[in-house]
Amino acid sequence: MKNENQKATNFFKYVTSKYKIILLLSIIVMTGVALFIPKMTKDTSYDAFLPKDDPVLTFRNKTKETFGLKDPMVIAVVNEEGIFNKKTLDLVQKLSEQLKTVPGVDPDQITSLWTENNIVGTYDGLQVDPFYELDDLSDDKALKVKSAIEDFELYQGSLVSKDQTTTLILAEMLDSYGKRQHEVYKSIMTLLEQYKSYDEKLYLAGEGAVSGYLIKYIDEDAMKTNPFAAIVISIILIFAYRRVRGVVLPNIMVLASVGIALGAMAGFGVDFFVITNGLPVVLISIAVADGIHILGEYYEAAAKHPNFSQRELVLYTMSNMWRPITITSVTTIAGFLAVSVSSYMPPMTYFGLFGALGVFAALVYAIFFIPSALMLLKPQTSRAYKVDQKVDRFGKLMELVGKFVVKYPKFILAMAVVIIGLGINGASHLEINEDRIKNFQSDEPIVKADALINLKTDGTSYLDIFIETPENEDIFEPENLKKMQALQTYAETLPHVKGSVSIVDFLKKMNQSLNENNTDYYIIPSDRDLVAQYFLLYSASGDPTDFDNYVDYDYRLANIRLRLDTGEYKYEKPVVDSINKYIEHHFNSDSIQATTTGKVTVDAYWINRLGFNHFLGAGLALLVVLIFSSLSFRSISAGLLTIIPVSISVLFIYTVMGILDIWLAVGTSMFAAIAIGIGVDFAVHTVDRLKFLLSDQGLPIQEAYLEFYKSAGRALLFNFLALALGFSVLMVSSVPPLSQFGFLVAVAVSVSFIGSMTLLPAIILVTKPKFFSPE
Amino acid sequence: MKINLITGFLALLMLFSNKSKAQSFPSGKDIAQKTHEKNEGVSMSRKLTMELKDKRGKIRLRETISLRKYFGKEKRLAIFYQTPKSVQGTAFLTYDYPDVSVDDDQWLYMPALRKTRRISAANRGDYFLGTDLTYEDIKLETRISREDYNYKTVRKEMIDGQECYVLEGTPVSKEIAKELGYGKVKFWVDAKIWMLRKADSWDIAGNHLKTIEIKDIKKVQNIWTYHKIFAKNHKTNHETTFLISEIDYQTTISDDTFTKEAMVNGL
Repeated sequence: MKNENQKATNFFKYVTSKYKIILLLSIIVMTGVALFIPKMTKDTSYDAFLPKDDPVLTFRNKTKETFGLKDPMVIAVVNEEGIFNKKTLDLVQKLSEQLKTVPGVDPDQITSLWTENNIVGTYDGLQVDPFYELDDLSDDKALKVKSAIEDFELYQGSLVSKDQTTTLILAEMLDSYGKRQHEVYKSIMTLLEQYKSYDEKLYLAGEGAVSGYLIKYIDEDAMKTNPFAAIVISIILIFAYRRVRGVVLPNIMVLASVGIALGAMAGFGVDFFVITNGLPVVLISIAVADGIHILGEYYEAAAKHPNFSQRELVLYTMSNMWRPITITSVTTIAGFLAVSVSSYMPPMTYFGLFGALGVFAALVYAIFFIPSALMLLKPQTSRAYKVDQKVDRFGKLMELVGKFVVKYPKFILAMAVVIIGLGINGASHLEINEDRIKNFQSDEPIVKADALINLKTDGTSYLDIFIETPENEDIFEPENLKKMQALQTYAETLPHVKGSVSIVDFLKKMNQSLNENNTDYYIIPSDRDLVAQYFLLYSASGDPTDFDNYVDYDYRLANIRLRLDTGEYKYEKPVVDSINKYIEHHFNSDSIQATTTGKVTVDAYWINRLGFNHFLGAGLALLVVLIFSSLSFRSISAGLLTIIPVSISVLFIYTVMGILDIWLAVGTSMFAAIAIGIGVDFAVHTVDRLKFLLSDQGLPIQEAYLEFYKSAGRALLFNFLALALGFSVLMVSSVPPLSQFGFLVAVAVSVSFIGSMTLLPAIILVTKPKFFSPE
Repeated sequence: MKINLITGFLALLMLFSNKSKAQSFPSGKDIAQKTHEKNEGVSMSRKLTMELKDKRGKIRLRETISLRKYFGKEKRLAIFYQTPKSVQGTAFLTYDYPDVSVDDDQWLYMPALRKTRRISAANRGDYFLGTDLTYEDIKLETRISREDYNYKTVRKEMIDGQECYVLEGTPVSKEIAKELGYGKVKFWVDAKIWMLRKADSWDIAGNHLKTIEIKDIKKVQNIWTYHKIFAKNHKTNHETTFLISEIDYQTTISDDTFTKEAMVNGL
């Protein structure tokens, strides 16, 4: 031990002798890396949650590519008195045409009553015509459009709501605008603003809009949470040391940690995801903790040794503090890396990875930058640490805690057992769920628009079924078409599946139209060649690209598109499972194969992994922390002791999640591993300090505990306050998953702190482990 | 010195104006008229292969026999599909009336339905049987419209080694523009044989819409005849190639071939 201390002192002698170079390097590295930040690109799409080469994702992209499918912006035009009147149809026309001029919108991919064609049978032929023209639009003509829609099952629910009060306009974006969806969203919102005074109400939602608005939304959120976190932390620092350097130095460390983490992210071309928004706040809270401990030790030393020179003070402080700071940083890094390793989803993998980098940067700055910066300054004492060793009110508060622990250790143990029991019960009842619209607060216009569209129409969540046959034109085979029809019929019986569209629906409509509009002929044509000839006939008056979304050019592949009125995983998953089962038992054969894909399938697939990844991440974090603390204390029992408070904190959270009905979702699922990595710090400091007092110094228990609570206990209290308040700042975030994440970590950290301050000393008191016996 | 400069400038100006006089082109109207005066024979039979290619490069191949005959100024066109097998026997018949105010008549015979179906009078700008050519393109073939556009003859250019007049046209009215689906066109008309060799068009919003190239123009039975049309839609990246062979202007084709009954019986 002595040898080790000497080595450390020598090391910091070296650091303090080169302090000018170190300061210069610190500033250069920090600003150099942070300069990449403006290059950061944002990705709020749901694709972001799977690696680019994931087979489920690549298959969906292949389907999208084959059938030219995109995630549209969906505008709902609502007229409670019904949309089939001149004025409303006029508005639909105006909007459809104006949308074509919005930069980023593909002018050929607008779908509305104005752009779509009606298929009508005449006495001797077939007519493919727009539903209405502007020249002859009147209220009478509008009623004709009404009966045309009533005659066209396909468009009921998809283009016009069944109660005829709502009609949709879908706009797709040009591929070249992929990452600038927010600009398109903004332009469309501005366009809709112009019609504010109209009786018709306009709403904007759909996958494209959600992604677009999220980008703007998380930006605004970051502008709010990050400065707020910095202010809260600074206030804590002011209370802790009441000195300028006590506030400034930890804040520079925070800048370094956040700047390097985000700068590296941008530099490596990693996208900024929704949950990345939480990273700066998390790092602010964590990075400041090291500063608190170092400055605490520094002011204590300054009070105890008024004769020390600044260099002596710095050497004394650093050789005492490097070990606990390194241990706690390494455990925190372990927590982040556990998130990274256990998660399959890139946003979480990168959150863990760059979070770990940020914590590492904070550690490096704590070891090199803080002593160097202190070398620039003169010795200073803090009023919080007086020479006469009188304890301030925070120290007194901790002394009270100590007295309570010494008096009622068994009561504390009993409480812990109760929490463990409740937590295990809570963990078994965790609800895994996710819904992207829940990234917004419930009073956001986009949430209301989404709810309205899902209520009135067939919905905005797509489940695509990719159909494949062996040879060109095999889709024409009536047997295959019948199978597709049966699959659609089955799918529509499932809860939340509101509608389905495939080439079958168009063929049935054509068949009816070519048989004098007789509804008895709304059936699949009986003959393969007839189907081919229908398509040829259609091409005589329709657009060559009209069926691109439903059948490929060779008539070998087809797409069935189901629409669901919910984006919630817990409803999507059973639908996907049922359809997969149906396909396996009733559909697939040598002559036709089906595969589920589309947004709903992708959701069901990746969210399903969340639960497993969560427990894996938590387990991994615990294991790493256990191994590391056992090694550094050279005792397995000490290692086990350190993970008790964090284990209880995680179990406690499961109970809280159950009571408050919080889902285990993308944001919240990361809480456990991170709470373990951070929360274990209290236990590490506690074990380290109690061992020092009991074993190294050989103090009697009462005295040792008193000493522990008023000095280390006080520092840990501020460490805890910084972490808990820092994470609580995330609670003011407008992004509910982030605010829930912040809340859960804050509560977990509180439980870890309380556990480390009460349960841990109580256990040591009751069991008297050998590790703490005097040497 | 000053005077010298001015006279020099004037001389230059005269030189230029002389030059532009020497370069003056026939008016668009005259060129359009000339394209309509070309001899096309009375009847014609040919093999027409349509190759349609979507943006992913997938190809639909359709082989047809196409017959055309003038009944005075009225043009009748019959197309009989031979492949693919699923549409074999399908026949398309159109009566193209000289009076613009009268809608053309069109029918399709579907053997699988054993019925002939009338196709609603198409907009002139509608696509013809899934190709990138519009009904108007099919109707005019190598001619250019005399009424629809205000032309400006801008220069001469070589296309396929032949001298062509380059005409820029804008639709005479908004209604015509909407009907045709074009906001602007550019034509390359052969200066000797007065046939259209290339056409570019832009949609009403000004986006480049289509390029059509008429190729392999050779004399068949003393009539200038094209053997290939290539059309590309720049917005959808869809392509159409018409390959024409076995052209014959001399076989007599019975008037009865251009009837609904004949469609049922096929060739």
